[in-house]
Amino acid sequence: MKRYFAVLLGILTAIGGFVDIGDLVTNAQVGARFGTSLVGVVALGVVGICVFAEMSGRIAAVSRRATFDLVRERLGPRMGFLNLVGSMLVTLLTFIAEIGGVALALQLVSSLHHLLIVPFVAAAVWLVLWRAKFSSIENVLGLMGLALIGFAVALWQLGPDWGQLVAGVSPAEKPEGEGWATYAYFAVALFGAAMTPYEVFFFSSGGVEERWTSKDIGVMRANVFIGFPLGGLLSVAIAGCAATVFLPAGVAVETLGQVGLPVAVGIGKIGLAVVVLGFFAATFGAACETGLSTGYSLAQYFGFPWGKFVRPKEAAGFHIILLLATVVAAGVLLTGVDPIMVTEISVVFSAIALPLTYFPILVVANDPDYLGEHVNGPVANALGVFYLVVIAVAALAAIPLMAVTSMGQG
Amino acid sequence: MKRSQRPAVVAVLLALALLLAGCGVVSRPGPAAWDDRAAQALTDAGSEVATARLALESARKGRTWSSYTTVLLAEAEEAAGKVEEDLSRLQVPAGRADAAAHVLDLLGRAVDLVGEARAHAVSGKYDDQALLDQLDRLSDELQQAAP
Repeated sequence: MKRYFAVLLGILTAIGGFVDIGDLVTNAQVGARFGTSLVGVVALGVVGICVFAEMSGRIAAVSRRATFDLVRERLGPRMGFLNLVGSMLVTLLTFIAEIGGVALALQLVSSLHHLLIVPFVAAAVWLVLWRAKFSSIENVLGLMGLALIGFAVALWQLGPDWGQLVAGVSPAEKPEGEGWATYAYFAVALFGAAMTPYEVFFFSSGGVEERWTSKDIGVMRANVFIGFPLGGLLSVAIAGCAATVFLPAGVAVETLGQVGLPVAVGIGKIGLAVVVLGFFAATFGAACETGLSTGYSLAQYFGFPWGKFVRPKEAAGFHIILLLATVVAAGVLLTGVDPIMVTEISVVFSAIALPLTYFPILVVANDPDYLGEHVNGPVANALGVFYLVVIAVAALAAIPLMAVTSMGQG
Repeated sequence: MKRSQRPAVVAVLLALALLLAGCGVVSRPGPAAWDDRAAQALTDAGSEVATARLALESARKGRTWSSYTTVLLAEAEEAAGKVEEDLSRLQVPAGRADAAAHVLDLLGRAVDLVGEARAHAVSGKYDDQALLDQLDRLSDELQQAAP
């Protein structure tokens, strides 16, 4: 019974914790401009994150060591450093965006300017990272994130023409006024948002924090293969709501308030309140995950004690990194930079950093010295190689598309 | 400085000069570039007007709360103002004076109307059907004006 409960809790928190500020903003923007014609990219990204999260989870469960730790040892300090720099810069950028996202969510209920809220959010995030148990962070915020199911309910209540929504999934249904370069730019952004690197680092380091063993591989796979795709459906629901309400009205999504507006139209005030709670949980949860991931990656690369399972006194370096990252994030936001713009940049740069993150994981997952009988099978390798090709194409195309389309303006 | 390094230094200086040339106080686009910028401005302003319309209509039906509506409309007003300001800073190319006057008039009306909607939201007046109709009409005008 306890095991079934653990599986259920893991799946629910995986669903609730799947969506972050990047998914919220990018899916709403894409739905408002391209309808459902980019849903295939979300599906591609969700399968991709499942493939690599399963690998990194398996590595953590069998070797009891986290990704950066092994990448440096297996591929040497140079490759490890490249992996560290690429992934950590994107994770820090995402951390800034998530803290900004929490402030924007609170602005919607208080009408205080988000800049006044940022210092309090940063202090709260740091306090949670310092004091709260790992499982509490994961479970409480993950379960609260389930409030985003409000988007699926709103889509149903909006009563769209389902046949048209489904038919619109084909890329051929791209709105005529939009160019292919802009379409490709948003495809790369959506892919980057779905496969953002911190998710695998957090997942594998979390496995070490929770002391997974090879006996936990089954539960871990259930979380990944059931929880992540269901979380991906929330992304599709966000895009579907935007496509139904904003596309016909010619509204482009630029703010978090706009992301929630279709829910108000569909199910009213209570539904909107539930979804805003979901915004808070998703962004606060992701702020904790990205903050921890920054600390994990640096501590694991340089080899000093890390994690919530170690007393703060013994992992002083790790906690100093968390504090510094939080100060940097708050400082950047207090310059007045728009958190939505930081989000837009972070998802595209995430796409650029993907090869640096995922190639080393594929290499380590094939090493019998670390994984013994649990090395990748032919299916995991075929999918891994396929995704490396897709990731390489997305990474190479990201900057030129960003320049040509002026960040998606067309 | 080594002789072989000179071409590289010249290239960097030329690039810097070109960069500075593009950073003038007033941007001076050609007619086609100005048309593109004007069309984009009209589309963006149309989006803000449509957002204000949706926000006010939702508030009228009791589907949002006061601070949510106020934030949405204040952000729409700020964005519409920025759109107008950005376009008005462009030097109008020859032969586009009438078009510019028309576009800037539409953008100005968008800023005013979204501002009025924001003022209504702050004072809790959501049931002004005339304002909703005005937002509707302006949204249509902006869509028609943007090619």
